[in-house]
Amino acid sequence: MKSLKRVTSTMMTLSLLVPTMLSTYHVASANSVTITLLQNKPEVVNEWNTLIKNFEKSHPGITVKQVNPPNIDLALQADVAKGQVPDLVAMGDDATYISMAKHGIFTSWQGRKELKLVAPAYVKMLENSVGNPTPYALPYTINAVPVLYNVTLMKKYHVAIPKTWNQLIADAQKIKKAGGTAFYNGWKDSWTLAVPWNALTTNNEPANFQHLLVTGKASFIKSDKVAASDMITLAKYGQANEFGTDYNDANSGFANGKGVFYLQGTWVLPVLRADNPKVKIGSFVFPATNNPKKTKMVSGVDSLLAVTNSGDTAKEQAAQTFVDFLLSKTNGGNYANIAGAFSTVRGVKAKDPAIAGLQTYIDAGRVIDFDDHYYPAAMAAGNQYESSLQGSLSTQQSVTSILKSLDTMYQSAIAHQ
Amino acid sequence: MKLLRRYTMYLLMTVPIVALFFYFHTLPALTGMYYSFTNWSGFGSIQWVGLKNFIGLFQDPQVMHSYLFTLEFAAVTTILVNVISLLIALALNAKIFLSKTFKAIFFMPYVLGTLVVSYIFNYLFSNVIPTIATQFHWTALTQNLLGTQYAWLGIVIVACWQGAAFNTILYLAGLQTIPEDVYEAAMIDGASAWRRFWGVTFPLIAPFFTINMVLAAKTYLQVFDQIVALTNGGPGNLTQSVSFLIYTNGFSGGELAYQSANAVVFLLLLLIVALVQLRFLQRREVQL
Repeated sequence: MKSLKRVTSTMMTLSLLVPTMLSTYHVASANSVTITLLQNKPEVVNEWNTLIKNFEKSHPGITVKQVNPPNIDLALQADVAKGQVPDLVAMGDDATYISMAKHGIFTSWQGRKELKLVAPAYVKMLENSVGNPTPYALPYTINAVPVLYNVTLMKKYHVAIPKTWNQLIADAQKIKKAGGTAFYNGWKDSWTLAVPWNALTTNNEPANFQHLLVTGKASFIKSDKVAASDMITLAKYGQANEFGTDYNDANSGFANGKGVFYLQGTWVLPVLRADNPKVKIGSFVFPATNNPKKTKMVSGVDSLLAVTNSGDTAKEQAAQTFVDFLLSKTNGGNYANIAGAFSTVRGVKAKDPAIAGLQTYIDAGRVIDFDDHYYPAAMAAGNQYESSLQGSLSTQQSVTSILKSLDTMYQSAIAHQ
Repeated sequence: MKLLRRYTMYLLMTVPIVALFFYFHTLPALTGMYYSFTNWSGFGSIQWVGLKNFIGLFQDPQVMHSYLFTLEFAAVTTILVNVISLLIALALNAKIFLSKTFKAIFFMPYVLGTLVVSYIFNYLFSNVIPTIATQFHWTALTQNLLGTQYAWLGIVIVACWQGAAFNTILYLAGLQTIPEDVYEAAMIDGASAWRRFWGVTFPLIAPFFTINMVLAAKTYLQVFDQIVALTNGGPGNLTQSVSFLIYTNGFSGGELAYQSANAVVFLLLLLIVALVQLRFLQRREVQL
């Protein structure tokens, strides 16, 4: 009996001690605030650390802690479920952001001065993808889907920059005849198929398609025949092992001159340069149609900034102060340059010569958002529709069969919503 | 007093474990079962939807395909792993030179992490094999196996390579329980090596065969790590196993409740498979 008593008393002491220890850990000096920043890009962890260091120097009362989990969708959902949300989130305009915004996780920027500092077209884009005219996030950087090319190889095969789809395929034929590889595809990772797919669909389908998608009335078989047949053509001019090459291998292959064109977004630039610092890369807008005047560039928000509804005013204010700091021309420009993106901060132009030529499309507003931002969550998240495309293309299925699979998936995703 | 003291001791040893097990295992399982009757997406509002998720599962071609793939994969891998590990065990049980060293070498793969092994094999399939095949003009192998419709073979290879180690150890243990004199008697009767295996060895290690079959089937029905590292379910959804589908669609696809229902169905399937196996295989066991 004695031993039982002893154990009980030890346990009780312990249970009293633990919360005390935890609370001492939490107490910091009264006027300093610590905020957590959750960001989704492993490529720019160092750049964020630099920004944070400079910010903390000029704002001694605020400490910023960067968190960069391998899977932000899971991390954020778990945080929300636990009720311990990060104070500031920097992520893409994806299915997770959209469902979080719909559930009121983020505060609105309505009526605040920061809204006037960034490009309004992209503020609108974020509102459209949430389907609610409330700015739950500020666009910080924008990506674009051009065709990247290897400057040296373009000269070697004597091909000119194509302005139309037919010219692109003629170039590809010429390169193939000369024994080269036109497109270097990393299609073992199904998400990489989304890049050409979005460029082709958005430019070739009816103008109200994204609206139809949201209202549950879209039909792929009616609207995306051109895109599906163009994807089949692209697959013909890829390297032999295109479904066995993953994103990383494709990056290093393209950076080392194994293919002339690379169908990837601008975000890949820092990685390509890390793979081969000497590679010369250029870009042109994806010629998804045969009418160069009509072709729009697919461009979406690469990083958005959203402050969460933590209920702690001090933290929300500190997060907003950090956002103000990030939106300065110098900080916005430097960050975008390192991330291989365009800045939304007014008056900042792209410095990177590989993508500077695309800036005119952004300035002129000749851009269109990714279609897949409007796909239902169960279809867009977890590479669902990309896997379907990958399956259909790798087994050489017909246009009808590719689109039928997508329609089946779309209908079932809408039913589960 | 002494009795009470001993009783306390037992309680002290078991209660914490039971509590931990309940908190980290039973409770989440029960919560998952509750979610399977709702429409919860992981956060936000929650509504009771009855059997809607379960009905949806049986009409979902993606879910049905994952069950088919998982059952086929588990059947092929369980049989292969058991054949291979029994052969290795028989060879290692023979009194050969360096047999202890070989035992250690054959156990190595089991010590390595599945993800590590799978990523290494992924590299072999993606880069090493196609490069070698191109050099020697073996056209069939120049493609990355994991990007073709035979991707499942790659997963079977990795699962066997690693899984055989554990079953080999169990078979070795089984072989050591057979007394020498049974073999001597069989030899005096003039039984051939083949006859000795089927007539003596196999019936006597039948309990080990049963446990190996049950364990292997259970492991390979729940295949997950190998798929994440090798194919990520691709190409298309060809190699999506049930566990993989529950994880990807449940957590990142916003289908938490729907995939919880899938998990409940899968749990029932695992239970049924294990019970049927035990019933069927235990009948064939003999005791000396």
